[in-house]
Amino acid sequence: MPRRYCQDSPDAITSCVLEDMVLLYHRPSGQTHMVISPVPEILATLDGGAALTADEVLGQLASLYDLGAAEEAGPQVEAHLAELTELGLVRIA
Amino acid sequence: MNHALSLRIGPATFRIGSTWRRPVEALVALYADYPAPVDGVADFTVRLEPAGPFRRWLRPSIFITGDHGLADAAPMSLAHGLLAAEMGMNLQMALGWRRHLLLHASSVEKDGRALVMTGESGSGKSTLAAQLGERGWRLMGDEFALLDLDTGAVFPFPRLVSLKNRAIDVLAAETPQRRMGPLLAGTAKGDIRHLVPNRDAIGRMGEGAKPALLLFPRFGHAADVRAVGQGEVFMRLTQASTNYVALGEPGFAALTRFVADVPARAIDFPSGDEAVALVERLWKECG
Repeated sequence: MPRRYCQDSPDAITSCVLEDMVLLYHRPSGQTHMVISPVPEILATLDGGAALTADEVLGQLASLYDLGAAEEAGPQVEAHLAELTELGLVRIA
Repeated sequence: MNHALSLRIGPATFRIGSTWRRPVEALVALYADYPAPVDGVADFTVRLEPAGPFRRWLRPSIFITGDHGLADAAPMSLAHGLLAAEMGMNLQMALGWRRHLLLHASSVEKDGRALVMTGESGSGKSTLAAQLGERGWRLMGDEFALLDLDTGAVFPFPRLVSLKNRAIDVLAAETPQRRMGPLLAGTAKGDIRHLVPNRDAIGRMGEGAKPALLLFPRFGHAADVRAVGQGEVFMRLTQASTNYVALGEPGFAALTRFVADVPARAIDFPSGDEAVALVERLWKECG
């Protein structure tokens, strides 16, 4: 069974765009994270509250952006989701 | 405490107590124009105490303590008692102030708008603010800029300006002697002399201003101006703030608003006069 990811909680993160960077303030931990694309876009796919696999996240991103070769983009999305999970910004459903 | 003084600097009130008379006498003279706390109760207490049981008399050595203290702070010579008191007040602000986002920055005001300057010790931010304060700007502070969490305005903290080494002669040349404190030679930061802010700076210490320009000054280089990206500004300001983490989300909101709204430049300058000219030019451009 592939792993499913979901947002920490609906209001866990508040964000602010500064030029090409996005600042994420994570309310439960009080930590500020500075991220760049594709992290904000990946987090946005989980905004609806659904628990998605990395492939489903990739599918949503592919419908909005030109991601290039899927065999390269897939592992990158998976790696970002794993990193975001470690930071507490995303949870495993 | 045998000797004590209470005073207000900007929104913060202090009670400084000392085992010895001399540091308090020096403070009373330099802070003569500053108001006392309105209700008589101080936000912070600073205590200058002997570093050991006999150190009140024998090679007198001061230990700075108070509401907030650093366990490993080195004792200081009694001859530097004034500096110890100033450091004690700074320490209380840095560790204990929660009513504003506290930026380690100097600031000056003109026409209701504030120029904020931040950088490491030796960057020239303090000297530049002091010079501007003598040349038509209102000095808001040389050490801390207080960012209001609700309105985004910058509020002053116009304590004595701490002039170091070469900056002493630069400011002494354009400031009345009565506003210059005694020379404290051979401190850990070199020679230090305090400058009392002028009447306008002290009289308007409760008056905030909308931030209009942020500068990262760097003394000792050929004149240059560079744009600074908002991501870098944010990062440098979180490093320059002692209470960003403690304030939580209101601190995040205040700082992101500041970074998004206030244009930022890094400036290099070889002398104070060139720095002042550069600042005046950038101020006109952003006005």
